[in-house]
Amino acid sequence: MKNSHLKELTKGIWKENPIFVIMLGMCPTLAVSTQVSNALGMGLGVVFVLTLSNIFISLLKKVIPDSIRIPSYIVIIASFVTILEMLMHAYMPSLYDALGIYLSLIVVNCVILGRAEAFANKNSILDSALDGIGMGLGFTLGLTIIALIREVLGSGTITLFAIGGWDGVIRIPGLASTPIRVVGMSAGALLVMGLLKAFFTWKDSKKGEEK
Amino acid sequence: MKNTIVTSVVLFLICAVCAVLCASVNYVTAPRIEENIRIANAEALKSVAGDLEIGETVAVENYEGVKESTDLYKDGKKVGTALLLSGSGYGGSFSIIASYDTKGALMGAKMTVDSETAGLGKKAEESWYMDLFVGMGVDKSFPSAPKDLSADETALVSGATVTFKGVSKALKNGSDYIKEGAK
Repeated sequence: MKNSHLKELTKGIWKENPIFVIMLGMCPTLAVSTQVSNALGMGLGVVFVLTLSNIFISLLKKVIPDSIRIPSYIVIIASFVTILEMLMHAYMPSLYDALGIYLSLIVVNCVILGRAEAFANKNSILDSALDGIGMGLGFTLGLTIIALIREVLGSGTITLFAIGGWDGVIRIPGLASTPIRVVGMSAGALLVMGLLKAFFTWKDSKKGEEK
Repeated sequence: MKNTIVTSVVLFLICAVCAVLCASVNYVTAPRIEENIRIANAEALKSVAGDLEIGETVAVENYEGVKESTDLYKDGKKVGTALLLSGSGYGGSFSIIASYDTKGALMGAKMTVDSETAGLGKKAEESWYMDLFVGMGVDKSFPSAPKDLSADETALVSGATVTFKGVSKALKNGSDYIKEGAK
């Protein structure tokens, strides 16, 4: 893989992370980050929609007239979200139930429309696909970090996916019986998000000073 | 003029391709989704029936909001009915399986299919939420809004008034159906 392609894939994971750096898709980030399993499910849903919509939009970039650019993107994104919804409802019903209305709201996730407008309609299919995967993974990583902190401190558990007889929940001794409830609530989401953003900004500024 | 036609044709083609894609996925997933709903409803029916014996399920027609009816028995005697109810919440339509005694008082209920908001309307999926309505329908009427509940109970369901009203209306509808049938 060429260096430039690799850069498109990796930039979204850390350097241009959609949650901590670009700060897009805040609404689902704050709402869905109550459990690690929800964050992983939502994140992978975004990877699916973002990658396929980026590929489609890049493929059609010369065909779509400028005047109907945004409506066309919305139709394409909404179609992939509908497909994702149907697949999740059929094959992952518990995750589908847990994500509820937020799954449909991927349509208006700014990360997806943002990447379509800022990247996919100007770049090749391969680069757009890599951008979609990278940004999607970066979104998943950010969402999962926030969910992990919120769930561990707010509930004293880490909820993954049930396998066989195991219910998929890791209970943390001490914290499970006396969790810091506010972290699991809406105020806790903003608090955790703010602290993580401050950490990323500090890390970036430190890097800048070193250079 | 030419520009308008080209633009319209392009948008039409994009919509058509997307519609075909969605229809194809729907064709593959629809039977599986139906099966998942059937399993969820069967589990909910077992849960609301408790230790009662479950009779045959029959489809209900011409009564809005009531889809199916299942008689519940104890020692061979009919003691209640479980209904598959539909209603409308904040996120769209939902389904509830509810059991009533022969007079129309609610014995138990469980929400099976819904698109309510996580952390708000989704509370209706939890057993304590439906327990708020248990016993209502005969001596005590169903609440029309959260304010009709006690202060503590109102606090529990706050933030999702539309869901609460939808659930209460659907359960009342089921109770009315039983009462009308009993006449």
